[in-house]
Amino acid sequence: MEDDERERFRFYEERSDCDSDSEGYVEDLVDDALCYSSCDIPKLQLRKDVSKAQWIEELGMAEVVEKKGKMWTTTGIVRDGKIYCSIEETLFLAEIGALHIVNGDDTYLSLKDLYEKIAIGNDGYGSSWESFEVYRHLKSLGYIVGRYGVPWTFKSTKINSIAENGASELDGTSCNGSRHNIFITEMFTNLQFGEVKPMFDVYLPNSKFKKSSPGSPCFLLCRTSDHPPSKQATEDLETRCKGHHIKFCNVEHGRVNFFSFNKVELPILP
Amino acid sequence: MGIRWKGKGAEAKALADPMSKIVSQLKCSLIEYDSRGLLSGFSVLIEANEEQTGLFNRTCFGRRNITTEKDKQWFQLSMEEAFYLSYMLKCIKVVGEDNCPTNDDELWKYAISKRNNFPNLFKAYSHLRMKNWVVRAGSQYGVDFVAYPHHPTLVHSEYAVLILSVEDDNSNGRLRVWLDFHCTLRLCGSVAKTLLVLHIDKNCSAATSPSCLESCLVEERTVTRWNPEQSRENQTTVQKEPSN
Repeated sequence: MEDDERERFRFYEERSDCDSDSEGYVEDLVDDALCYSSCDIPKLQLRKDVSKAQWIEELGMAEVVEKKGKMWTTTGIVRDGKIYCSIEETLFLAEIGALHIVNGDDTYLSLKDLYEKIAIGNDGYGSSWESFEVYRHLKSLGYIVGRYGVPWTFKSTKINSIAENGASELDGTSCNGSRHNIFITEMFTNLQFGEVKPMFDVYLPNSKFKKSSPGSPCFLLCRTSDHPPSKQATEDLETRCKGHHIKFCNVEHGRVNFFSFNKVELPILP
Repeated sequence: MGIRWKGKGAEAKALADPMSKIVSQLKCSLIEYDSRGLLSGFSVLIEANEEQTGLFNRTCFGRRNITTEKDKQWFQLSMEEAFYLSYMLKCIKVVGEDNCPTNDDELWKYAISKRNNFPNLFKAYSHLRMKNWVVRAGSQYGVDFVAYPHHPTLVHSEYAVLILSVEDDNSNGRLRVWLDFHCTLRLCGSVAKTLLVLHIDKNCSAATSPSCLESCLVEERTVTRWNPEQSRENQTTVQKEPSN
């Protein structure tokens, strides 16, 4: 695991809820105690290897201008030889102090500025606070997370058939298409009651991950409206994303929960 | 499937004594003695001789009423159990207050009058029993049923079963909001059972007679929590994650 991920992981280990059995109640009390205590708040270490990126408003992404550290093998998409970060990637790296972001005029973008960006309604650069919470939770644990339907590099659109399978708004194959289309998918337009949409491609932690051939994601993570998905919606999604394992997430009060709804067939017993 | 047996020898015992065989023995014995159950409220009371007592216990049908009577035992069957024995296995007759055996349709209507969700309850119950799973009440876990792959003394339960009728918006059903999931999964988790949701054809709830049930489909889905902290070490595909 990368240094920054390890650090983040430690932070989250202390905060995150443990799911196991009867210990559950005790863990919650500890978690809340940590959350609300005023002393000993875990701190992230300051780092010396800080990368730099420029926020490009028209794209809603940050273009990396100075790359430092090993995290770039698993963060950001590659276009024309440059790396671009989505708002959630940018914010994640900014929070852990791994990335300095500037505007076009070289003025520094603070964390506050970034928080404001993501807060812009449901269309905040294709993201939302809740989706960022999900992204951050998984990324801190070492998972590799990309937006559904967005190829890591343009070369990989041929190898990786996700963009073709999904109903993404991405105009991936046309280089002449609007740059806006190529970079951003609208993840977070309001969902209808019971509707579900794939949000992220999630890969297991992998030090040998290559954006040029990422392989199939471990699962597709889907978001739902504030109600759980209806059976029909789940089935439609499974049909649409045939061949991919699907998980659902629900975020409330700062906790990220993941669920699987797997079709099974109980065996006929002797 | 990963059946969790209780203690050594449990698996061998179960293999030597398949549930289908024991149920079959119970059926034969009940038919031989022309057994009748007495309808009472939403239960059916039935007398059992020594052999039948053993068979009721081994197949997990009914709960024994503890009485001081020596030569016979009384068992209390739930409506689903009674209907299964009478309609599916045809090995008991259920009598009403007038001491006359009720026919299937009468009993069906009676059951619905007491619980209008009875068709779904019964469909789920018989769906699992037909596959030779042992099905017991689940209300103490906040679910409809608990399903075991064999006798509870030999195995831990596999599934906590919730019934969902496939209505358009499930607004009258269970698991309507996320909190319902959290709540039920929490309960299941603390007793180490996997939540199994049975989606039942919406035609089932409108079944006016038990024969309508045959064409109703039941779809099985498990609902599990995924814990990203624990899964990273497991580098194999996610489908192989252990059930929570």
